[in-house]
Amino acid sequence: MIPAESSMRKRRHDTGNSLIAFWVPGMTLVGVVVLALLVITLPVLGDPERLAAAAADPVVLHAFLVTFLAGFCAVGILALFGTPLAYALSRTNAPWKGVVETLVDIPLVLPHTVAGLMVYLLFMSRGPIGAPLGEIGLTFEDAFPGIVVAMVFVSIPYYVNATREGFTRVPVQLENVARTLGASRIRAFWAVTLPLTTRHILYGGLLAWGRAIGEFAAVIMIAYFPLVISALIYYRFTSGGIAESQAIAFLLILLCLVLFYVFRVLTRHAGVYDDRG
Amino acid sequence: MLESMMIAVENVSLTRGNFSLSRVSFVVPEDSYTVLMGPSGAGKTLLLETIAGFYPVSEGTVTIADKDITLQPPEKRGIGFVYQDYSLFPHLTVVENVSFSLKMTGIPSDERTEKVHALLDQFGILTLAGRYPGTLSGGEKQRVALARALAMNPVALLLDEPFAALDPDTRSSCMEEVKFIQKEQGLTVLQVSHTREEAYLLADQVVIIDRGMILQTGPPSEVFSRPAHPTVASLAGFENVLEGTAGAVEKGKTHLVIGKGIITADHAFPEGNRYLVCIRATDITLTQPGIPRNDSETSLDMLVISCTTIDQGFLLQIDGPFPLTVMIPRRQSRSTGYHPGEQVTARIASEDVHLIPLSRKNTGGGPWS
Repeated sequence: MIPAESSMRKRRHDTGNSLIAFWVPGMTLVGVVVLALLVITLPVLGDPERLAAAAADPVVLHAFLVTFLAGFCAVGILALFGTPLAYALSRTNAPWKGVVETLVDIPLVLPHTVAGLMVYLLFMSRGPIGAPLGEIGLTFEDAFPGIVVAMVFVSIPYYVNATREGFTRVPVQLENVARTLGASRIRAFWAVTLPLTTRHILYGGLLAWGRAIGEFAAVIMIAYFPLVISALIYYRFTSGGIAESQAIAFLLILLCLVLFYVFRVLTRHAGVYDDRG
Repeated sequence: MLESMMIAVENVSLTRGNFSLSRVSFVVPEDSYTVLMGPSGAGKTLLLETIAGFYPVSEGTVTIADKDITLQPPEKRGIGFVYQDYSLFPHLTVVENVSFSLKMTGIPSDERTEKVHALLDQFGILTLAGRYPGTLSGGEKQRVALARALAMNPVALLLDEPFAALDPDTRSSCMEEVKFIQKEQGLTVLQVSHTREEAYLLADQVVIIDRGMILQTGPPSEVFSRPAHPTVASLAGFENVLEGTAGAVEKGKTHLVIGKGIITADHAFPEGNRYLVCIRATDITLTQPGIPRNDSETSLDMLVISCTTIDQGFLLQIDGPFPLTVMIPRRQSRSTGYHPGEQVTARIASEDVHLIPLSRKNTGGGPWS
């Protein structure tokens, strides 16, 4: 390369637009995450027999099944009840809106043990919700429904806030026009608003699912059994030591990474319309 | 014979946030084109949205074809609506956008396809049928929005500044198309606009609104030549609005005292009454000092303060007994323009002086206050 060309190339990179001042502190955080992954991963990769044993352990597989299934149920319940709430919040300016938003955010700020206590008191066999539902055969203490309600409770703000943000971005004029074209408010919501919010709903669902499957304290306070994966890791850590829990943790990380990646690839074009040719 | 009224708004009031529509009343005759004008924030879009049924009124009635629709939801009113940004559904193709209303009303698929294709053909957008709105130009979007609104055979069409986002060439052709369609189909149209050009070209009637109140209604030529309110005068292009007092009447003309000067206006006005004196910048001519004036014009010795070259000629600020804005067309002006400090005589024909009686209710706001 001739010197003049080299100097020009250097100048081209030195126009004051560099993001280096942002990358350096930001990547410190990423570095911590990478280190955390390495301290779990490297010892496990060095002991493949233990990893294979964990992957074939029926208790581990059952815990994974319970956790992921309860996570999906929790997201389903959030979609059913959280989507209308998010839409209503996005379309109202009532003075009490702030109160509702604060209530929605409460699970974010509470210690998870407090959230667990609240869920337990509500859904235990003598609780205000648990008692009547118990009469029709739905029990929550040490049962799968208990795991689901604990997961729903801690994930509410993640789903509702992400979805509300999506609804807010849909101009109300689109709904207005849809209504002049013969759509009722509900039909305008289904035909126009909901499809345009797909991306945010899916993202909210993913956040809520991630939050749900990672919940430990709130879940074990109402349903220690059947064991969710976080409870199993803690149990193996206290009874079998680091190596026992490390292998299961590695499997969880691997599965989550794969699931999150596949989800992002599948939803890359969801809700994006304006750039289609 | 009385004209039949398609839209009648009677004493409508409502409040949204800190803005109110206050006892708004006007009518839009059937098969006519009405342009709603007013300064920014006057309440034009809110009024259109209220007629469409997006907001409940606190009092008053909205009638469409003699039927009270005040309490009906938008989907039952049969009114087409086109927003300034056209609000096409971005997740639907052009053909899906246009057939939206037919789908909502349960028209069978075959019938829907036939009608939508006929509409797309009529609007020259058949080739865009499978495209998404994000890939269309402004003019194409406007055609799709109009076709979509007309697909439902609306009883009236409300347009919120539909030409504002278009470039000048596209705007003129779109205005002609819309006017042609309105005439051809006998549509009743109420359109929000900011420009007199659109009102002159399109409107059978203009309605002027400001601060949520209707100020004046009538054919554009009448409203713009005889404004009854300072806001209307401003919208009508009267750049000079001065406060004056009627003085002596001579040969059927009134001499108005404005500051240390006098301007002569046609007709006799009661002496001592106060008026807003409105003069268009283009109605003032400049001559060299010393040229005698005739009886029907005002002659004022003025000093040029500034002279700006514009497309049409020169825009001058001159000062004397009171300041004036003058527009000298290129064909009448000197090639060198005018120089600050130059002495000139401003001449104003009495027939070009328009007076608005000054009352308490029309003194608020605007450049004259």
